[in-house]
Amino acid sequence: MGSLVQVLTNGILLGSMYGIAAIGLSLIFGTMRIIFIAQGTMIVLFAYLVYWSFQKAGIDPYLSLLTVVPLAFVLGLGLFYLLFRKAAALEDRNVSLLLAVGLMYLIDNLILKAWSATPRGLNISYSSAMIVVWGLRVSWLRLALLGLALASAFVVYAFLKKTRVGTAVRAASEDMEATTIQGINSVWVSAISFAIGIALAGVAGVGMATVYSFDYQFGFVFAIKALVALALGGIGNVFGALAGGLLLGIIENLAAYYVGIAWIEIASYGVFMLVLIFLPQGLFGRRALVKKV
Amino acid sequence: MGGIERIESADVRLVAGTKGLNKRKLIWAGLGVLAVVFFGTLPFYYDVHNGQYGVFFFNVFVYAIVAQGWNLIGGYTGQISLGQNAFFGIGAYTMALLWFNDVTKTGYYFDPVLMIASAVAPAIVAVLVGLPLLSRLRGDYFAFGTLGMGMIVTVLFINGGYFTGGAEGRMLVSKMPPDVVFNLRTHYWVAFLVAVLVTLVVYFLTSSRVGLALKAIREDEVAAASHGVNVLKYKVIAFAVGASTAGVAGSIYGYYLLQVTPSNVLTQNWLFYPILMVVLGGTGTILGPWVGAFLIYLLSWYGDQYFTGYSPILSGVVIILVMLFLPSGIMGLGQKVPDWGKRVRGSG
Repeated sequence: MGSLVQVLTNGILLGSMYGIAAIGLSLIFGTMRIIFIAQGTMIVLFAYLVYWSFQKAGIDPYLSLLTVVPLAFVLGLGLFYLLFRKAAALEDRNVSLLLAVGLMYLIDNLILKAWSATPRGLNISYSSAMIVVWGLRVSWLRLALLGLALASAFVVYAFLKKTRVGTAVRAASEDMEATTIQGINSVWVSAISFAIGIALAGVAGVGMATVYSFDYQFGFVFAIKALVALALGGIGNVFGALAGGLLLGIIENLAAYYVGIAWIEIASYGVFMLVLIFLPQGLFGRRALVKKV
Repeated sequence: MGGIERIESADVRLVAGTKGLNKRKLIWAGLGVLAVVFFGTLPFYYDVHNGQYGVFFFNVFVYAIVAQGWNLIGGYTGQISLGQNAFFGIGAYTMALLWFNDVTKTGYYFDPVLMIASAVAPAIVAVLVGLPLLSRLRGDYFAFGTLGMGMIVTVLFINGGYFTGGAEGRMLVSKMPPDVVFNLRTHYWVAFLVAVLVTLVVYFLTSSRVGLALKAIREDEVAAASHGVNVLKYKVIAFAVGASTAGVAGSIYGYYLLQVTPSNVLTQNWLFYPILMVVLGGTGTILGPWVGAFLIYLLSWYGDQYFTGYSPILSGVVIILVMLFLPSGIMGLGQKVPDWGKRVRGSG
């Protein structure tokens, strides 16, 4: 029993990474319907930046949130205006999908050139610090991941609910055309959601740098995991996406514990397929956003 | 089937708008025959085995086959399948495992039975996966589902243990019949023949009633369904045919590599490059995949030669540039009525 609780706890803590990535994807997909397959690659890129600033300048990973997240936001704005502005307006999904693929190839291989293929991972003074609660061993860094995820979810939620731009973003994810008719600048709304999506990749990058061992190829799989989390939780709901991530973490850890590490992927993608087929609106998503035949 | 006739008449109106189409069609057909004759007889006056262009064109043909298959489901039907690498891999593995375990007892090199099997197996998988996915999902969700399928297939082959050979895959060199000499000429011809065949199949399929149904589904699924088009049936047909072409390409590539492993037949390249080729050439056009396959492979070929090690970076840049400046493809440039180019968001 104790080990089951331990497995569940680990699942929740590691799943919070998927949660952060899924919230970002949800914003990007929700407003522009772009399958942003490069999200994982962006996370890996920011993880390398965090790693690098720790190795070169000794900056604490959590302190580098202050630089990485604004940097990611600006980078997101730049990427949107440079690449995705026109593509987001096209009905043809292939263009935006391939733009994201191109970005993924480009950044993956730039990372390979800059930092070589050796997997990297941070070793900070408090890497192995543990807290023991009722016999549960929880690493501080993993607990911090959950904190990061919850904080990001609350910030994004508050942004969507309390600000005018946030309201516009919500409106755009309901119906982009009607939003434009209401006099809302749809390009700016898309740009903001895209930039926040990339900023969340920055947050996830900090998390990844502290807990995972990562290399240049890690991004693609991570992006698909985020997509799985998004499908699980449902599109159009910040806390749904987060919950989807936590759930995916639990599923993966349960599969690793009971079936074997080699079958983690089968479990997560199997659940992905089942959810897509039988529950396309996800567990917490709004039914209206899913176009059924 | 009254609905299809309605759509047909709409299509005829659209076609009648472009004058001199028959003449243009004849010119294209003539050029096509010339190209087929040229590439079909190339091995007689060019040593494709030792000359480097043999390998080059062999790869172009294999990519053209996969791209043509994706064109059917993604281009003509408008359902973005992100599982082509899975079908490519299933085809390659079907051939490899049947050959490796001597299931057919024939022991031929380029066994037609194995190649047909490697076309049938992905089609079966496509129907099994496609029926639940396509009956409930469309658009982006179908893309997600096929992506998930591709990942599952990849992991299954890696974890297949003795059956699939795991991460090392299956070495097929020892299975070569002793009297057969490895000559790229055979590969060249088989790949070329299949590529032409697949192009013809896609051409006749898309210019028949099936094609009208597929295009109707792409333009407006609800309207197509309300006009009596069996949407699910035609989508599954397109998905399955697209899958089996990828499978045949996989088996041909397997015969070329003589070693089928997850890392060489199930990679992202077999997923994203064919899509890029179709989009660069022109989505939903019969020559688009050929143009795209030739250009993209040309770029990666010379990229590998002159920018060794930087080729993947180059292809990333090329993908981005193509999508920024040529989103409706090369074949879309000359056409006066590019029926996919003007589909702006909100009209569908």
